[in-house]
Amino acid sequence: MEAAEIRITAEPIDDQRCKFVVSTPVFAGGVRRFATADEAQGSPLAEAIFAIPGLAVQELIVSGNLVTVVKQSPAPWQGVGRAVGVAIRSALAAGGQAVAPARKPAAGDGLAVNDDQLYEQVAKVFDEQVNPMVARHGGRVELIDVQEGVVMLRMGGGCQGCGMADVTLRQGIEGMLAQLVPAVRGIVDITDHTTGANPYFQASKK
Amino acid sequence: MLRPYVILTISMPRLLLLLPTTTYRTAAFVEAARRIGVDLTVASEQPSTLEAANPAGFLTLDFEQPERAADAARVFAKQYPISGVAGVDDTSALVAAAIATRLGLKGNPVHAAMAASDKYLQRGQLAQAHVPIPRFVLQNLEDDPAAIAQAITYPCVVKPVRLSASRGVIRADNPQAFVAAHDRLRAILQDPETAAACGDRARHYLVEEFIPGYEVALEGLVVNRRLHTLAIFDKPDPLDGPFFEETIYVTPSRVPAGLQAAIRDCADRAVRALGVVEGPIHAELRYNEHGPWLIELAARPIGGRCSAVLRFGDTGVSLEEIIVRHALGMPIPSLQRERLAAGVMMIPIPGAGTLREVRGVAEAKRVPLIEDVQITAHPGERLVPFPEGARYPGFIFARGETAPVVETALREAHQRLTFVIE
Repeated sequence: MEAAEIRITAEPIDDQRCKFVVSTPVFAGGVRRFATADEAQGSPLAEAIFAIPGLAVQELIVSGNLVTVVKQSPAPWQGVGRAVGVAIRSALAAGGQAVAPARKPAAGDGLAVNDDQLYEQVAKVFDEQVNPMVARHGGRVELIDVQEGVVMLRMGGGCQGCGMADVTLRQGIEGMLAQLVPAVRGIVDITDHTTGANPYFQASKK
Repeated sequence: MLRPYVILTISMPRLLLLLPTTTYRTAAFVEAARRIGVDLTVASEQPSTLEAANPAGFLTLDFEQPERAADAARVFAKQYPISGVAGVDDTSALVAAAIATRLGLKGNPVHAAMAASDKYLQRGQLAQAHVPIPRFVLQNLEDDPAAIAQAITYPCVVKPVRLSASRGVIRADNPQAFVAAHDRLRAILQDPETAAACGDRARHYLVEEFIPGYEVALEGLVVNRRLHTLAIFDKPDPLDGPFFEETIYVTPSRVPAGLQAAIRDCADRAVRALGVVEGPIHAELRYNEHGPWLIELAARPIGGRCSAVLRFGDTGVSLEEIIVRHALGMPIPSLQRERLAAGVMMIPIPGAGTLREVRGVAEAKRVPLIEDVQITAHPGERLVPFPEGARYPGFIFARGETAPVVETALREAHQRLTFVIE
C-alpha cells in the first residue's frame, strides 16, 4: 500500500522565523526545543534541519504537527524553506522516531528544576492575571511548556487570528512576564492563527 | 562625608505607534520596533484587555478626534516621554500629525495629513499647483443624480471622498450607469459604520474624469521635505472598471526609465503641493500619451500586507523598520531596495458569501518563486465583493530574478487556490 502523502505548509512569521505545518503528527510528547546541533542528536528530524547548509539554525521547536524554525541566515524562506520541508519529510518517511522525547530531569538537575518552577510561576500568571484579562475579548492563552526558560504558548478563542494578537503578546504578556517572572528568557507563540474562526479584531483596512 | 556618585540612566527612545485594531500591519510594525530595541507604546482606538498590566505599553486614543487624541498623548507623554510617533493608515496618519505638532515631534503638519486623506481637498491643492490630475467636481449625495448625469462628461469615475482601498469607486460610461453608480455609492456611505468613519464627508462624493492608461504605484519616504523613491510598482492587470479592485503589484517597474523619472517628478510635485514634509507616502499614478497623472497620494505606507515584498539594503531591512527609524530620527541603513524583483497579489474576492474553506494553499506555495500565501479571511467570514467590500481574502508573495517571472508565479499560484463559499 502506498504511504499517505506528507503535506508540509510553510508559514513564515518574519525573516527569521517560520512555522511549518505538517499534515501528520511530528511529535506527540508535548514540546521539544533545540538550541544547538548537539541537543538535536538522537532526534533525526532536528539533526537534519540543523544540518541544512547555510541555514544557521538558532532555534527549533517541535510540537504536535508544528515545526518552528528560527534561523540566523538572511536567506529568504522561499529557498531554504524547501530544504526544511525536505528534511522534515525525509525524517518522517524513514519511519521510527523523528523526535526523541525530552531527557528526563536527573536529580539535582538545576536547569530542569528551574523550568518546572518557571512553568508553575508562568501558569499562575496566566491563570490569575492574563486569562481573566483576555477573557473580556473572548480570548484565552494556554501555557504549553517552558524549556530552558523559553515559554511556549498557544492563543485561543478571540485571540486566535486576532489582528492585535502580536500586541497582546509583545506589549502585554511579555511585559507581564518580564516583571513577574524575570527568569523567563523568551516567548514563542505556537498558535496557528490562520485557523482562528472568531478573532476579536479583524484586519480589514487598506 | 558622602562621596559624590553618578547614576547613569540609559533609556531607549519611545515610539508611539498608532495601530487601528483593524490594521493588517500590527505584526510587521511591532516586530520592527522590537528588532531596533526601542520602547514601544501601542495606541489604538479601542482599549487592550491588558492595558492595566502595562500602562506604558498601551494607550487608547480617539482616532476620530485628532486634537483630542493629541491632548491625551500630551498627558501620557508627561509620564512616558515620547520620542516619535507613527501612524499606519489614513486615519492614524492624521492623528499622528496632530500629536507630532502638539508634542514638537517629527511629522507632517495637520493640514498636509488632512489633504492627503481627503480626496477633495487633495485634488484642489494639486490642481492649484498644476499637478496633472483628472478633472473633478464635488457632488452632494442628496442631489438628484439624474440631473447631474446630464451635466457631466463620460466616461467618469464616482468616488467617495474618504474611503480607501478603492471601496465605493465605480466607473460610469453613460447617464444610466452614473445613476446606478450613485445609488450604489449612496448605499455604501449610508452604512452606519462607514458614515461614522467618513464624518461630514459621507454626504459628498467626487465625480472625476476617467483617465485611461497604465497604472503604477510609488512607495516613498519623505525626509525633511525631500521625497526618496523606495519602489515603483507596476500594476499589470488593467484597472478600467467598472470597479477598481487591486490585484498584482510587481517591482521593479518595467516602465521605461525616462517615464519613471517623470512619474517620480509628478509624485514629488504632489508631495510639495500637499505640504507633506516627513514620513512614508504611497502614490498611485497613471500614464498615457500625455504623461503621468496623479490619481491618489496618501501620507502612509502601502496597505494590506503588501509591504512584506519590500526589503532594503544588504540585510533586508523592512519598510516598517525604515518608518520606525525615521520617526525616531535614528540612522536608516539603506533606502535602496534589494536587487531581486518582488511582487504581491491581493487575492481577488472570489464572490459573495460565507467562506468555508480555502483549498490548494500548499500547492500554491509549491509554485517556484512563491515565498508565501497568506489567507487572512477566516472560515465563517462573510466575503463582500467590490465596490461594497474592500477586504481581500489573502495575499500571495513572490520573489525572483525578473518582474515577468515573478508576475507569472503569482498568477500560477493564484490559479491553484479554490475558495469554497456558501
